[in-house]
Amino acid sequence: MEDHYNIPTAPVVTARFADYVLKDSRSHGMLLRYSFPPHPIGFIPRSYIRDYIKGNDPYTGKPLMQEIIDALTKPLTEEEKNPVVPKRPRHPRLLPPDTEENLQRLFLENGWTDGLPIVLPTEERVAEMLTGTDADPNQVVGRMSIAYYEEKLEYTVEKVAVNAVMAGCRPEHLPVLLAIAETQHPSLPSSTTSFASMLCVNGPIRHEIGMNSGLAALSPFNYANSVIGRAWTLMSINFGEAKPGDTFMASLGHNLNYNNMTFAENEEDSPFEPFHVEKGFKPEESTVSIFRGWNVLGLGLGNVEEMARVLKNLPTMAPTGTFVMDPLVARSLVDEGFKTKEELRQYFAEKTGFPPSAINFMVVGGQTNPLWITTDFVYTETESIDKWIPKDGIRKDKRPLRMPAPLVCKDGICNLPR
Amino acid sequence: MAGKITVLDPRGQPSGVFGRRSSGDNPGTILSPRVRPVDSREAMEKLQMADRLDTLEGKLIYLVDVGFPGSKEFLEEVAEWFKENMPTVKVVYRQKRFDPYSDDPQLWEEIHAAGGDGVIIGVGG
Repeated sequence: MEDHYNIPTAPVVTARFADYVLKDSRSHGMLLRYSFPPHPIGFIPRSYIRDYIKGNDPYTGKPLMQEIIDALTKPLTEEEKNPVVPKRPRHPRLLPPDTEENLQRLFLENGWTDGLPIVLPTEERVAEMLTGTDADPNQVVGRMSIAYYEEKLEYTVEKVAVNAVMAGCRPEHLPVLLAIAETQHPSLPSSTTSFASMLCVNGPIRHEIGMNSGLAALSPFNYANSVIGRAWTLMSINFGEAKPGDTFMASLGHNLNYNNMTFAENEEDSPFEPFHVEKGFKPEESTVSIFRGWNVLGLGLGNVEEMARVLKNLPTMAPTGTFVMDPLVARSLVDEGFKTKEELRQYFAEKTGFPPSAINFMVVGGQTNPLWITTDFVYTETESIDKWIPKDGIRKDKRPLRMPAPLVCKDGICNLPR
Repeated sequence: MAGKITVLDPRGQPSGVFGRRSSGDNPGTILSPRVRPVDSREAMEKLQMADRLDTLEGKLIYLVDVGFPGSKEFLEEVAEWFKENMPTVKVVYRQKRFDPYSDDPQLWEEIHAAGGDGVIIGVGG
């Protein structure tokens, strides 16, 4: 309105976000004239709102309505007439040398970690990590911001490798992380509503790098699942510039932000086509698929009608749903007459009123219980991993790091002495 | 320098590329950062704020509800305030289409075509 139509505007934002929008305004070079009533204005008695309008802006201390009138009528200042978008300096590639203890402290105190200890990204470690791909370390992979409208930070293959080292990854994981980084999706969106994210890996790389798609796949018992999920969070912090109260405004936050519900799909035990094949990839391709939402409701038990009932009643802000189900559930659904995910999708759309395209099904788990997890996650993107894999194959350590695989008691005694 | 090590900075670099509001007419752009519209620093520096009005008396002011909870009630009370305190100001309430984060060029055009003199828009929060 301001620039295109030459119509003055008076934007109103609650005082809780005054610093946020003023910073946003400065960084965009348009010094919009905000007014700030007290926060919140939603879900409060009407009489409170009336009082706010007759009262002062708590941020400036000035009468709110006069401020709104001034925003539309006071002549523009020279600063407002001549917008300048501040240019931020680039960071040097290397940090000043210091002791390991001090550097751990530096990373933590600057908010470059998730609060857990990191592996420091020395030049040697980053160089080793970069053996995990043939890509040029200086190749730009993407740009990211956790706040949609802020300046996006650009990152290279080397920057991804730095964050991979910090998360505890090995070179074998790097192609997956590059594919995640290529989506340019932060796992920690700025929203006050406290988003969670989910990440699923499909294709042969699941086995190559030892991901878990079976028993306890969503629990902390698998090295690859753990560090890949963590690395996405570190990239979101350092590429997306996540700073609580500044850019990251999630009121409660979400515990899934630590690992982003990272797993591999159990393609082998699923009666349905793998998720990435649904999305047009070949079965022999490796991919990452990412999702975003708020609600994760565990302990789903029951048939397809019960699944529809739970999804329909899940409190959410969007008509979307993704079921994460054990292979036992998937096979039960086939027994109930649903031969494909598409048939299921149509059934759930009819029962819930959600668009069919907004309903997804992932198969994972160890078949000890026919459980399903209901989420309101929306699918956002699938990215190929293969182009980031070295032409000679995935760069594995001579003795790859692996946690104990889930015990499978084929003999009925779980290898215990008889 | 004994005991000291050198490490790499983990942060991305400023790019001069900023996000831009996408039209709600194309919901696909809401989710994918790769297809969301962007602005450059240079383009943003060319943006100009509008000339201000000499007074609100007798002017047509649009009250645009962005859709956050409480916005409608707030703007209704603003309309009441004008009725009581500046009755010559004509106010028109409009709800922005789509979600609070999307652009609504159709509404901006409508306000312009109707001769709107100014806009009070909110309430973010």
